[in-house]
Amino acid sequence: MSTPNIVELYGVTKAFGALTVLHDIDLGIREGEILTLLGPSGCGKTTLMRIIAGFEATTHGRVTIKGSDVSYLPPDKRPVNMVFQRYALFPHLDVFDNVAFGLRLKKWPKERVREAVQHMLHLVQLDDYGSRWIHELSGGQAQRVALARALVNAPSVLLLDEPLAALDLKIRHHMLAELKRIHQETGTTFIYVTHDQDEATILSDRIVLMNKGCIEQIGTPEEMYAHPGSLFCARFLGETNILSGAVSATDSEATFVNVGPGTAKVPANGTAVLLGQSVSLAIRPEALQVARIGAGEAAPEGVNALEGVVDDVVFMGSRVVYSIRTPIETIKYQETRSLDGSMLARGERVRASWRPEAAVLLTR
Amino acid sequence: MMKISRQERMGLGLVAPSFFFLLVFFIIPAILLFVCSFWMAQAFRLIPAFTFDNYARALSNTGFYFLTWNALKNGLCTAVLTVVLSFPAAYFIVYRTRGNLLFYLILVSWFSSYLVRIYAWRVILGSNGLINTTLMQLGLIDQPLEMLLFSPFATIVTLTHIMLPFGLLLLVSALRDVKKEYVEAARDLGASQTEVLTRVILPMCYKGVVGAFMFTFVISAGDFVTPQLLGGRDGMTTGILIANQFRTAGNWPFGAAMAFLLLAAFLVVYLGFVRLLDLLRLAPGRRFHD
Ligand SMILES: Nc1ncnc2c1ncn2[C@@H]1O[C@H](COP(=O)(O)OP(=O)(O)OP(=O)(O)O)[C@@H](O)[C@H]1O
Ligand SMILES: [Mg+2]
Repeated sequence: MSTPNIVELYGVTKAFGALTVLHDIDLGIREGEILTLLGPSGCGKTTLMRIIAGFEATTHGRVTIKGSDVSYLPPDKRPVNMVFQRYALFPHLDVFDNVAFGLRLKKWPKERVREAVQHMLHLVQLDDYGSRWIHELSGGQAQRVALARALVNAPSVLLLDEPLAALDLKIRHHMLAELKRIHQETGTTFIYVTHDQDEATILSDRIVLMNKGCIEQIGTPEEMYAHPGSLFCARFLGETNILSGAVSATDSEATFVNVGPGTAKVPANGTAVLLGQSVSLAIRPEALQVARIGAGEAAPEGVNALEGVVDDVVFMGSRVVYSIRTPIETIKYQETRSLDGSMLARGERVRASWRPEAAVLLTR
Repeated sequence: MMKISRQERMGLGLVAPSFFFLLVFFIIPAILLFVCSFWMAQAFRLIPAFTFDNYARALSNTGFYFLTWNALKNGLCTAVLTVVLSFPAAYFIVYRTRGNLLFYLILVSWFSSYLVRIYAWRVILGSNGLINTTLMQLGLIDQPLEMLLFSPFATIVTLTHIMLPFGLLLLVSALRDVKKEYVEAARDLGASQTEVLTRVILPMCYKGVVGAFMFTFVISAGDFVTPQLLGGRDGMTTGILIANQFRTAGNWPFGAAMAFLLLAAFLVVYLGFVRLLDLLRLAPGRRFHD
């Protein structure tokens, strides 16, 4: 890989008593990237982050930061800083002293502390808030102070555990943009924990999708969206239609799958499948083409197509999402709202089809 | 017409009973006593006046200083011991245990009466008591140590034992507010365990520490039963002097004056303690910049 890894995890396993919450995790975090740990609640994201920060010891495995093994270093000796989910800003100190906390522990001279703190407060756009008390801050402001308090220490890696979870939707989007800007200005490596796929796709250079203590898939948001490696991944990132069936034929070019009354053709992507094996196809709602079938007209048979009835129509601003009931599955179809306003209506018979490349063959 | 909002009305309603109680049983008596301290007493009769004689009499009496010194010494030693002993226990209970079992076990010692505990210590510390017999059997001493009982030492040990659950209760509830997250945040920012204690935990439970200290101090410095039963001849405190004025001598004004002098001494200790924490930078606040 071109960029060197700043943090590396080797076979990290974590058990709380009899419960193993992380299974043999290998992961490299590249210098300067925003890496997101994404996954459902309880999958071990926080635990993994706390292992990197030094708050939990690994049961097995090693953690290195900048090439040196930190597995046995306490949190205060590791060159990482953390932004806590509920900020954990010290209520007995004002904003300035909160941000200065780490620098004072390092015995920086007064003047340098003042400069560094002011610079940080400027970076998070809270220049005049130094003498505010913590309880006088709004949620978004507290979030920025927490960010400044961590970043002022110039950590090699900044760990953020669901930092926006406590904020409402509007501020959240604003803070995401802010985080991106701050990331660009400081160049610090970010490890970001979230269970919100939107946050992950907006922010990340790479996403690590976790499930039940294992890494499900790693990749850029585009890769993960376009080429999910598993059903779990396909379902977790964005809306998707899952069609299951058995393999009816396979060759070096393509695989054919029986889906309901029809057949689906998928270009071979290196996944080895056996004849008769049950597999799934993931097709994004926006990758479908849907056409009306006139009354009395016979439904055309064919490859990569399903016939159905429009069950539900939902407006989402510029988009319209339809639910189409087919003999095997109710599928979602999404289109940009057309200017002339012509739309499908509930109860209409339609034919949904897709190009072979639009479907992803999944065996797990 | 002044309007009182619903919320304010409710607030007043909630405060009123305790305020009324305090007013009737503390504030009014305290004011009366204060007024009384400027009166005179003759042959068990109070004569209204405005004189500082009672204060002057107390302040010119070396016995008063001696007993007050004893009281303050008992109070300070007990308060320091109680806070120092109960802080680690509270820390352990809050951060290292899940349930409250240990906490309740310690609080159970409250169930025995104050006097029973004083007598228990008499048994333990006496010449034929647990400590002396053990030490003698171990051959560490030939004669029973007489200074164990009837000494300030006995008073302080007993008072500390009595006050410990109070101190613990106050400190545990103060520490419960210092969520683990704050400790972790400080560690994350580079604080060692000692620095976490001095820069985060102690300032954050400042009120609890001051509360526990002052509570134990005031009660044990004002106590005269324990010193009377365990303190020996030289262990008497101002409390007994004050009580005597009310009970036997019948000189209420003099007793009141001494009570207020003692109160003043307590205030001085309070201010001194708060100042000390401030100097040690254990108090919360804008401490470092500008
Ligand atoms: N100190 C602990 N003792 C016992 N079990 C724990 C402890 N901390 C976490 N766990 C368990 O480990 C698992 C993973 O927890 P973790 O907090 O890492 O999940 P998460 O992915 O961060 O979830 P969320 O999105 O809800 O924050 C959970 O099943 C949790 O109950
Ligand atoms: Mg979590």
